[in-house]
Amino acid sequence: MAHFDTEYQRLEASYSDSPPGEENLLVHVPEGSKSPWHHIENLDLFFQRISFKNGFTCMLLGEIFELVQLVFVVAFTVFLANCVDYDILFANKFVNHTDSSKVTLPDAFLPVDVCSARIRDSVLVIFILIISGVFWLHRLVKFIYNICCYWEIRSFYINALKMSMTDLPYFTWQEVQGRIIEIQKEHQICIHKKELTELDIYHRILRFKNYMVAMVNKSLLPVRFRLPLLGDTVFYTRGLKYNFELIFFWGPGSLFENEWSLKPEYKRGGNRLELADRLSSRILWIGIANLLLCPVILIWQILYAFFSYTEVIKREPGSLGARCWSLYGRFYLRHFNELDHELMSRLSKGYKASSKYMNCFMSPLLTVVAKNVAFFAGSILAVLIALTIYDEDVLAVEHVLSSITLLGICVTVCRSFIPDKHMVFCPEQLLKVILAHIHYMPDHWQGNAHRYETRDEFAQLFQYKAVSNVFILEELLSPVITPFILIFCLRRKSLEIIDFFRNFTVDVVGVGDTCSFAQMDVRQHGHPAWMSAGKTEASIYQQAEDGKTELSLMHFAITNPHWQPPRESTHFISLLKEKVHREANPAFTSTHSLQSDSEPHSLIANLLMGPPSLASLHLGREGSINPVSIGVSEGASALRALSPVSTSLHLRGSYPSARLPRPDHPAVVAGRAMAGSGTDARTISSGSSAWEGQLTSMVLSEYASTEMSIHALYMHEMHKQQSRGEVSRHAWHGQESDESSESVNEDMEAARTFPRSSTFPTTSHQAGAAQQSGSQRRYGGTSDPVSGSFRAQRTPRMPMGGWSEENQMSRHHDPVPEEGSEDELPPHIHKFCKVFHCE
Amino acid sequence: MNCRSEVLEVSVEGRQVDEAMLALLHTILLHRSTGKFHYKKEGTYSIGTVGTQDVDCDFIDFTLVRVSSDELDRVIRKAVAEFKDALGNSGSDGMGQISLEFYQKKKSRWPFSDECIPWEVWSIKVNVVNLANEQERQICREKVGEKLGEKVINIVEVINRHEYLPKMPTQSEVYNVFDTSLKDVQPYLYKITYQITDSLGTSVSTTMRRLIKDTLAL
Repeated sequence: MAHFDTEYQRLEASYSDSPPGEENLLVHVPEGSKSPWHHIENLDLFFQRISFKNGFTCMLLGEIFELVQLVFVVAFTVFLANCVDYDILFANKFVNHTDSSKVTLPDAFLPVDVCSARIRDSVLVIFILIISGVFWLHRLVKFIYNICCYWEIRSFYINALKMSMTDLPYFTWQEVQGRIIEIQKEHQICIHKKELTELDIYHRILRFKNYMVAMVNKSLLPVRFRLPLLGDTVFYTRGLKYNFELIFFWGPGSLFENEWSLKPEYKRGGNRLELADRLSSRILWIGIANLLLCPVILIWQILYAFFSYTEVIKREPGSLGARCWSLYGRFYLRHFNELDHELMSRLSKGYKASSKYMNCFMSPLLTVVAKNVAFFAGSILAVLIALTIYDEDVLAVEHVLSSITLLGICVTVCRSFIPDKHMVFCPEQLLKVILAHIHYMPDHWQGNAHRYETRDEFAQLFQYKAVSNVFILEELLSPVITPFILIFCLRRKSLEIIDFFRNFTVDVVGVGDTCSFAQMDVRQHGHPAWMSAGKTEASIYQQAEDGKTELSLMHFAITNPHWQPPRESTHFISLLKEKVHREANPAFTSTHSLQSDSEPHSLIANLLMGPPSLASLHLGREGSINPVSIGVSEGASALRALSPVSTSLHLRGSYPSARLPRPDHPAVVAGRAMAGSGTDARTISSGSSAWEGQLTSMVLSEYASTEMSIHALYMHEMHKQQSRGEVSRHAWHGQESDESSESVNEDMEAARTFPRSSTFPTTSHQAGAAQQSGSQRRYGGTSDPVSGSFRAQRTPRMPMGGWSEENQMSRHHDPVPEEGSEDELPPHIHKFCKVFHCE
Repeated sequence: MNCRSEVLEVSVEGRQVDEAMLALLHTILLHRSTGKFHYKKEGTYSIGTVGTQDVDCDFIDFTLVRVSSDELDRVIRKAVAEFKDALGNSGSDGMGQISLEFYQKKKSRWPFSDECIPWEVWSIKVNVVNLANEQERQICREKVGEKLGEKVINIVEVINRHEYLPKMPTQSEVYNVFDTSLKDVQPYLYKITYQITDSLGTSVSTTMRRLIKDTLAL
């Protein structure tokens, strides 16, 4: 290699302090890195930690208590097993005390040397102690690590985001996020882009959760089983979830190289069979490891359940009958890009209605039995208590205390089976209210709310606490069942899993590999039956089920009003918002007249509605009023009756305005008023500068949830219209004059014949779906015969859906003032509309 | 993830490996080096000068431009030589990857050592081809030269984009951004690592480190 010195040579003089004559020529001022927040290595974790904004002390205490609890459980168990003389406790053996005859607790303890000898002799105890010691040390190291990270986050909050720890609980996530986006401009925490968007932050925080949601949505995970006796069941526990995450995301040899990128070999289609083999053998090993660890986990679960729940059960036995959202439900109902706290607040709002709905289905037989058992148990209990009050010595009689406790539990349990006397059976309406909060439900529930099948399926999402993840049954069974699910069910799906990750992973600049569903791109993953007909280019394999893409998009756009969606999505959002707005707008004008006596109105509304499904169906047929708006209003009015927030919102959002005399159904008015106030107030406030500070953002987020509820109802209603329009077109002819009793039946039939969504598949359909996806992966999705025939089945729906929608619109326009007549509306409404479009 | 990564791919003959690698690595480093900083009392600094040098390659029709610092050259040559040996010893089809990673050091609290956070990674994938006769070699010589020229332009394009670079440090922090060990030039902190595709992904130590980190980050 030959070297040639160029003209550009180093000035040797610059070794000295500064080159001669250049002292004042080239002088720079270092910018320095004053904040340590530029260029953070692991932004995923960083944002995740920011998103549990509980304050440092909370986190610290929480972690410390967790560690202490662990020690306590182990130590206490060992103590109970080895150091207590139960004979003394049960008074089988007498202690000879010199001074008093009372037996004290310390009498029952064995002396220390005996105790330690017993512990030392038992191999099992030593073994358990060693294992838990190792586990505890692991937790301790993690604790120290976490605390350091939390400390860093704390100083980030204080120094960079300028939020003090005491105020932190009162900031909304949207505010925090807004500040992070501001910070990025200044410090460049992410180096790829100048500016971060809300979606980037959500993607990073929820990277893996989005994958899980998508996999549940596409029924890829083996969580639904058909058992011989129990029928269709869902089994999804925390243990199982942990294992799934271990396999896919972070365990040794998982599909992901690190937190943000899928291993490159999984992105190429070439050796998918080999990769699937590798994955399936990994699943096998993890399954076996689970099987081996099963006794340890099982013992831990039992102990933990015992210590945490016995007290609760004794104190309020009713909690056994209480329900909660199951883990599966949380995944089924979760939007893409929805943070934990957003999901939980949404589900909690639906809790009341959901438990009411479930209580509608009390079996009368059980009620009769429960009433009588409660009577007998109650009377014995009453006598015992009365006797005790009369003379305390009754308690000293053997088993009196225990029988009082048992009887008390018995009465409470029985009472939970006796329904409220004043309850009315109106499942359809309740389900609407639930839908307004949970946003997702399979198609075949609509119109079938009163059926037991629907109830059972809903129960899968909304389980008894006693059965579900929170305690006892499933969580206890989990360590035993999980390995078998892994080995026998998940392994079979390994090829599909490999394909899923390959097909649905996109590399987003500045974010890394994310699930493509989470992009919420209507064009790529839209479902034609969910209002994205004509916009979507997705094959069946690519469509998200249950309108997840569309609903998620709406949800995200509503919760993050500053987010700039891509162009097609903007179009979709503005179109939908406009439609909902138009439905809501006329009634907005009559808000004023309503607010004085809103309660009676909603009451009348509910009364007049009667069986709501019937009314909407009936009216919809006659074509006098757009059934969509009825559906929405029906839910909204019920919602209004239930939630106090919306009433206040309704008051806030109302403006003195010209009244348009409208011969409308009162319910429609009520509902529209709701919708109108919800959407309008929001648009105004996001536009105006006067509404600022914490209050605004709190209020905003409340509006946002109401607005989303209305959109969700509207979308479901449109979806129903669309699918019904298709299924029953052939059946409807010549029945226009028929009365509702028949048409209800027919509607039910229609709902039954309508292809169900695949997350709640019937058995036959499930087989079909499996077959379909099987062929899909073999041929890459477009050319295979099975999916072709499937398509043929579906495609006619698109034009037909379009037809029914058009029809709908034209019908709808008759009673409502036309665009031209909008001039008569007061001017500020126009302004809102404009603001709306700008958004 | 919070770092840019650029991938370059070249296929060369066995004896061209080191020259091709040197050409690319030197080109990148040329643009990622500055003169030595001389801090003044008032918190300002002046930047020393950097010379350049043209180097003709023996086995490729190519002339590379590098910073005229023998120390830097020595370090790079050593890394490339190691890579070439490893490539030769692997005995397989000769696929390898050498990566040049620019990073920043960040001080962390006592129990942990300083974090090295990369902000730009250049991965050069090498595919070694075997040639049958002298004529093919001659063609290859020219072709590789052209290819390297393209890559150099590529690199310059990437570097010319307005993207994140660590901010210029104050005197006390200069060690966290720049490699100040050389006496005539001051590149950004960099690390050269290589990987032979045959040895199945990452080495044991990195896997272990990741495992521990993963369990901690649960």
